Amino acid sequence: MARDLSKPDHLPNLRPGREPPHSSWLPLQRRGTTPQMIGRYPDYDVFDAAGSWDDATAKVVNARLHMPADLHFFSAGEVATLRAFCDVCVAQDGEPRVPVVEMIDEKLAAGRLDGYQYADMPDDRDTWHVVLAGLDEVAEGRYGKATFAACDPDTQEAIVALLAKAQLSGGSWDSLNVKRAWSVCMRMILAAFYSHPWAWNEIGFGGPAYPQGYMRLGPMAVREPHEKPEATKEDPVSVISQDGT
Amino acid sequence: MRTNLLKGARAPKDNESRFLLDVARRDLPGEDTMRRYRTDDEVDLVVVGAGAGGSVLAQRLARRGWRVVILEAGPFWHPDDDWVSDEAGSHDLYWTQKRVIGGDDPIELGKNNSGRGVGGSMIHYAGYTPRFHPSDFETLRRDGVGADWPITYADLRDHYVQVERELPVAGQNWPWGDPHSYPFSPHAVSGAASITWKGALACGIEMRVGPVGIVNGTFGNRPHCIYRGYCLQGCKVNAKASPYVTHLPDALAHGVEVRAGSMAVRVEIDDATGLARGVTYIDEEHGKERYQRARVVAVCAYSIESPRLLLNSISQRFPHGLCNTEDQVGRYVMVQGATQTAGRYPDEVRMYKAPLPEVSSEVFYETDESRGFARGFSIQTIAPLPIGWAEHVLAAGHWGRAMREYMRDYNHWSTVGVLNELLAQPDNRVTLADECDQYGTPVARFDYTLCDNDKANMAFSANVIHGIVIASGAQDVLTIRRFAHLIGGCRMGTSPEDSVVSADHQSWAVANLFVADGSVCPTQGSANPALTIMALASRLAQRLGSRKVDPSGGSASRLAPVSGSNRR
Repeated sequence: MARDLSKPDHLPNLRPGREPPHSSWLPLQRRGTTPQMIGRYPDYDVFDAAGSWDDATAKVVNARLHMPADLHFFSAGEVATLRAFCDVCVAQDGEPRVPVVEMIDEKLAAGRLDGYQYADMPDDRDTWHVVLAGLDEVAEGRYGKATFAACDPDTQEAIVALLAKAQLSGGSWDSLNVKRAWSVCMRMILAAFYSHPWAWNEIGFGGPAYPQGYMRLGPMAVREPHEKPEATKEDPVSVISQDGT
Repeated sequence: MRTNLLKGARAPKDNESRFLLDVARRDLPGEDTMRRYRTDDEVDLVVVGAGAGGSVLAQRLARRGWRVVILEAGPFWHPDDDWVSDEAGSHDLYWTQKRVIGGDDPIELGKNNSGRGVGGSMIHYAGYTPRFHPSDFETLRRDGVGADWPITYADLRDHYVQVERELPVAGQNWPWGDPHSYPFSPHAVSGAASITWKGALACGIEMRVGPVGIVNGTFGNRPHCIYRGYCLQGCKVNAKASPYVTHLPDALAHGVEVRAGSMAVRVEIDDATGLARGVTYIDEEHGKERYQRARVVAVCAYSIESPRLLLNSISQRFPHGLCNTEDQVGRYVMVQGATQTAGRYPDEVRMYKAPLPEVSSEVFYETDESRGFARGFSIQTIAPLPIGWAEHVLAAGHWGRAMREYMRDYNHWSTVGVLNELLAQPDNRVTLADECDQYGTPVARFDYTLCDNDKANMAFSANVIHGIVIASGAQDVLTIRRFAHLIGGCRMGTSPEDSVVSADHQSWAVANLFVADGSVCPTQGSANPALTIMALASRLAQRLGSRKVDPSGGSASRLAPVSGSNRR
């Protein structure tokens, strides 16, 4: 039975343990690409409107589809843990993946930082090195694995949960404020992930709208012609039979 | 009543910017033919910072024949190429050079509140342009908190009217503070904002549409807003007001030079006369230090960089920083509490459409003793784009699979926020950090700690908007605490013991040195600061231009002002 999206029962706050439902309730993407090919708008592709984007915007957005594969900021020894960490933080458990790691590496290598540094924190660039080292230390010290990347997904998630709750200490973690370190890393991960057009497809965001603009603001109609309605994974036959209609 | 028949028809006087803009191109007209001054020319005025304060000051005085150079650290924008309809791609609009933040409640800077480049922070402000209330100018007398300004609301009223016509501001007739109307009609209200409005009505809280500095209709060569939602990313449409479209076109037409890529590092003082003689800056393109001579210097670099520039301007007379003999520079910096509550609704809302600022309320603006704290807050609808929404979800404690779930639900959410008046405190302050930038100039450190009144105000207002969101039928709620805006740091006052500049923005220590930006405000109420910064600069320009204030330092008395004298 498909979920009724007017109801909020899929939202973590309203569920036991604040856990989201397994992603199997989501439909596979039928048009365009989403991260892991799941989303709520299976027939929506933001690139359907790309012909109306201005050149400067199109250039910036399209570049995210073609991120260079080689990394410059992070060392070879850090990459495995970095990839595993970023995957857990935004739950990318399969292909296709938004190239979060490559986007962060490019930003840090170019020194494009946010413009502020907490007094009890090192430079954001150093924070990344410390966090990756710290994750490996926890994996080894608490779970007996050589690196964070060598842990199984549940363990990785448990470690990140400790980081998110600022419950890590000792070793590398003592050289910074753990709560702020989480925020420094997540700000950069989220800015990378949700700047990617695949993520816009997943969440049904209309995307760049210049020079075209948006006309259907609601409340009567909220969808432009290129925007598509949302859907869940449903088998029309079973829905109809369960509804008894 | 009032002047509804004239909506959209009243033109500002003495500012042709709207006609000077190009219909088809977004570049600032006149850049190619802009007047250039030599650095050894003694110009009449050198302004540091091409933002809300500096641009208005330059435009006004250029019209009176002053020869003006504006030094701007950031780039000279070419919006067709430089600006994008994209959150992450707009990183260069923000002041992202390093600053250190401390205190018990450190304030995030960068994209949150700090702009860089020609047009300043108004390039990426949301667009809300409320006036301050008359009470904001006398909170100490009325409520026993904050500070009293050396000027009153009446001193600014005419300038508010003029600047509102120049932006131009669209909104309903405004019942709060000093009741007034706006030159343009209110914008259409989006589905997302109307949900909040409905909830507020159910709570008995009046909200009104606007006020926003966003064209509704057409305004000279500036088009109607196209409701694309990227107000915080630089308005490629030219619909949203910023000095780049409202004052700099006219300024350039009247001989102002805007020298971009010029990072001011020192105001130079003539040790013999005690007067400022110019500004030393780094020409970033050539990596060279240069020095622009000037008869008058105006520092308009906002609450972090203005104090930093003064503190870094060391001379024989001012070994502790320019104008800092009384240890006042950098003190009383304020931000506003900006708690945000998002609600989830059964139908698709798609909050990314329409201007980000839509509907607001100032019902709770002034002190109500029954609430248990002094001063108050305003309520404003907002609409985060995906990265902004992700930061909201993160701040509410979700990441990983839960984050993805909330993000996929984006189109079902609508958001409302508050602006709390937080009180001026001497130790909420900009100082110099141990660290230097690439030119060897110490960077700013900004410490911030909330007081009990601030905390009580923020807690109360969070309850109010939570109530609104619940009353609007929300099925789930995510509330986060954050801060917005900057004010103070070089405040105006009546004596050098408790302020940096006089009622005429004239520094107590140096007669021909002025500060004309948000840093001069002793309080900031619950209003977004842009309009007031412009109105203050407009007033200063009028007084300088009509010789009501004397920058010559003719009588040496300026060096030793009479303590406590009211120079209004």
